[in-house]
Amino acid sequence: MVDLIVLSLLVAASLTVLEMQITVEQVLQYHSGSLQPQSSVWFVKFTRDHSIVVLMNFRHPLFVLLGGLKSLGMWQEEGHGDLCGPGPRGLQERAFTIIRALLLFSPSPVLQERVLEFYSRTFSVYMNQEGEAEDGAEVTDSPEGAVCPGCAVPTQQCWCQDALKQLQELSHILSKLQLLEWVSSEAVTSILHKLIEQRMEQHCRGEYERSFLLEFQEWLELVLGWLSKVFASEVHTDSLSGSSVLKQWRCHMHQFFCRIYVNMRIEELFSIIRDFPESKAAIEDLKFCLERTNQRQQLLTSLKSAFESRLLHPGVHTSDILTVYISAIKALRELDPSMVILQVACQPIRKYLRTREDTVRQIVAGLTGDAEGCSDLASELSRGDPVTLEMQDSDEEGNDPEDWTPDPTDAVPDKMGSKHRSSDIISLLVSIYGSKNIFIDEYRAVLADRLLHQLNYNTAREIRNVELLKLRFGESHMHYCEVMLKDMADSRRINSNIREEESRLSEEDQPPLSLSAIILSSEFWPQLKEEKLELPPVVCQAMEAYTHRYEKLKAMRTLSWKPHLGSVTLDVELEDRTLTNLNVSPIHAAIILHFQEKSSWTVEELSVKLGAPKELVHRKLALWQQHGVLREEAGGHYYVVETGSSKEKMERGMMLIDSDEERDSNTTTQSEQREEKLQLFWAYIQAMLTNLDSMTLERIHSMLRMFVATGPVITEMDINELEAFLQRKVREHQLLVSGDVYRLPKPN
Amino acid sequence: MKVKIREWNGVASWLWVANDENCGICRVPFNGCCPDCKVPGDDCPLVWGQCSHCFHMHCILKWLNSQQVQQQCPMCRQEWKFKE
Repeated sequence: MVDLIVLSLLVAASLTVLEMQITVEQVLQYHSGSLQPQSSVWFVKFTRDHSIVVLMNFRHPLFVLLGGLKSLGMWQEEGHGDLCGPGPRGLQERAFTIIRALLLFSPSPVLQERVLEFYSRTFSVYMNQEGEAEDGAEVTDSPEGAVCPGCAVPTQQCWCQDALKQLQELSHILSKLQLLEWVSSEAVTSILHKLIEQRMEQHCRGEYERSFLLEFQEWLELVLGWLSKVFASEVHTDSLSGSSVLKQWRCHMHQFFCRIYVNMRIEELFSIIRDFPESKAAIEDLKFCLERTNQRQQLLTSLKSAFESRLLHPGVHTSDILTVYISAIKALRELDPSMVILQVACQPIRKYLRTREDTVRQIVAGLTGDAEGCSDLASELSRGDPVTLEMQDSDEEGNDPEDWTPDPTDAVPDKMGSKHRSSDIISLLVSIYGSKNIFIDEYRAVLADRLLHQLNYNTAREIRNVELLKLRFGESHMHYCEVMLKDMADSRRINSNIREEESRLSEEDQPPLSLSAIILSSEFWPQLKEEKLELPPVVCQAMEAYTHRYEKLKAMRTLSWKPHLGSVTLDVELEDRTLTNLNVSPIHAAIILHFQEKSSWTVEELSVKLGAPKELVHRKLALWQQHGVLREEAGGHYYVVETGSSKEKMERGMMLIDSDEERDSNTTTQSEQREEKLQLFWAYIQAMLTNLDSMTLERIHSMLRMFVATGPVITEMDINELEAFLQRKVREHQLLVSGDVYRLPKPN
Repeated sequence: MKVKIREWNGVASWLWVANDENCGICRVPFNGCCPDCKVPGDDCPLVWGQCSHCFHMHCILKWLNSQQVQQQCPMCRQEWKFKE
C-alpha cells in the first residue's frame, strides 16, 4: 500500500520534471525567437526574462515536490517506517536520483546552451562589479543611451543586482539537487576558456616585452570570486567540499591559462626569437607555463616548421639566418636550460647552413667583427673562453651527483650526453661543420687578405683576434696565424733596416721608387693566387735592389716577389689637373706607368707588355677610364686625356663603367684548395696501391691519415668524402673496385 | 702625363737558397721549420755540410748527437763537417 503511494509520488515527480524541462525549452525557444546564437554576441541576448523563466521552472515544481516528499517522510516516520526500508532520508535520496536521472539523462543541447548563456551573463555582471571598472569607464561617462557593461541594457534598467541574486539562487537549488557540477561545469569551462583566450588575444598577442603572469594571476583571482558564487552552496556542512571544489577549479583555471598561453606563444615563437633580447619576458613566461603543460613536442614541431618556412629558403641572406640562429640559441637556452629544445629545433638550421657556401665566411667575418649585421659574435668571442667555463661545469657535475637531472624525454640520444650539449654560441656555430679546421683555414684566408690589403704594418686588432681565437680553439690551431702576424712584424723591421741603409746612400744612388714589402713565410700562409704580371722596369729594378739588401741582411735567403699583390699609392699629374693619393693595385699602377712612355696603347699591346691576359687588362683599364685619365677610342685604342673639359667630366659622371672595385680575394678559394688536396691524396693512393696491390676503403683512409696528417696544411677528410672521391676515380677508369677492395687497373 | 709613385707596397715570400726543397731528416720543407720549432726563418736556420747537403740546424744536431761513433751526413755518409 505504502509502496504504491511512494511509487505514484515518484511517477508524479518525474512527470513534473519532464514537464518542467519541456516548458523551459519552449519558453526559451519562443523568447529567443529566430535569433540564432552567434559566438560573439551569444551572451547579449540572454535577457532578464530568460533568466526568470529558467529559475521559475526550477523553483515551482521542486517546491511542490519537496513538500510532498517531506509529508511522505513524516508520514513514514509516524509508524510505517519499516515498510519502505531506508526511511525519509532514503526516500528523498531516491526521489532526487530519479529527478537527476530524468532531467539530465541526456542533457539537451538547448539546456546546455541556456545554462551557458546564463552563466556568461552573470559572469560579465560580476566582473563588471568587481573592479573591471576601466573597461566600463568610458561607457558610463555618456549618460545618453548608456549601456550597463554588465547586463548590456540601458543603465536605467540595469538588472545586475538581480542577476547576481538569481545566480546565487540557482546555485543553491542546483547544489541541493547535487546537480551543480553536472549542469554547470561544462558551461563554466567553456566560458573560462573563451574569456582567457579573448583576454590573452587582446593583451598579450604581439607583446613580448613584459611579463603577463602576475597580471593574469590577479585577474584569475577575480574570476575565482565569480566561481565561488557559482559553486556556492546553501548547505553549511558542504562548505569544506565547496572549498575543495573551488580549489579544483583554481587548478583547472591555471591549467587553462597555461595551455592557452603556451598555444599562443608557440604560434609566435619565431617572432619572439627574432626579437630576442627584447622578448626575454615572453620567454620567461613561456618557460613557466611550458613546465606546467605537456606541450614541448608541439612547440618543437611548430618551431621547426616555422624555421623551415620562414627562414630556410634561398631568399634569406646567410648572415640573416646566422643572426636568427644566434638569437635562437640565446632564447632557447633561457627557455630550456637542458638545451634539448635548442638542439632539436635548430637541427634544420644547421643542416641548411651546411649547404650554403658562404656560411663559413660569414661566421668568420662575424667573429672578426667585419660583418655589418651581427656584432654578437665578436662580442661573444671577446667575452671569454668556453674551454675553462665548460671545464668548471663538468667539475661541478662530477662533484654533486644529487644535482643530476635526467634529460627530457624528447632529447636526441647521442653519445655526447647532456654534459656536452653546449650552449656556447661560437662552439655551436663552429660545430655546424663538425670540425674546427674549416673555420681556422677560412680565418687564415681572411687574415691573409686583411694583412695583404693593409698599407701599414699595424696589426693590433688582428693580434687581439688571434689571441681570442687561441682561447677558443687552442694554441696549436692558431699557430699558423701567429706566424703570419710575426711575418708582419718582421717585415716592418726589415723594411726600416733597408730604408735606413738606403738613406745613407748618396743623392744619385737613391732608389727611384720607395718600395716596402711584406715578406711572407710561404709555408704558413694560405695559398696565394698565382698571377703573371710583368712590372715596368723601374719597379723591377727597385725590387731587385730590395732583394739584394735582403740577401745581405739574411744570409742564404732570398725573396720571391709576387708582383700582382700589394698596393700602390700614386699621383697622376695631367696638364690641367692632378689626381693625388690614388690607392691602386700593382696592375693598375703598371698600366698607367706604361702610358707615361706612350700616350696610346691597345689592349693587345698592353697585354703583351704586362704578360697578363687581355680580359684582365681590359677590366683594369676601366678604373682609369672612371678617373677620367684614359679614354677609349675606335679600334681599341686607349688615349690619355690630358685636358679634361667640364663637359667631359659631366659625361664621366654619367658613365657607368663597371670597374672591378670589388676586392678580389688574394687567396685561392676553398674548392680550389680542396681539389688540390685531393690531387695530393691521389698521388699517395696511387703509390700505396702500386706497392700493396689492393686495399679496402678503411685501410686507405687510415694510411692517408697517417701520412698526410703531418703535412704543412692540416688536412682532414672523412671516410665518406674519400669514398666519393674513389668512386669518381673508378668512374674515370683510373681505379678498379671489386667487392670492397680497390686496385689500380693493370697497364696494358 | 706624369705619374709619381709615392709608395709601392710589394709582397714577397722569402726562401732559403738551397738545392732541395725538403729537409732530408724531417721531410718538412726548408721554408717551414723543423718539427720542434714554431717559427721558421731566423729561429730555425739551415746549415750546410761540406758535402753540400743541408738540413734544419736542429735536425742535423739531433742526428749528430745520436751518432755514437762517427759523425756522418745522413744523406751521403761522408764525414759531417759544417761548411764555413
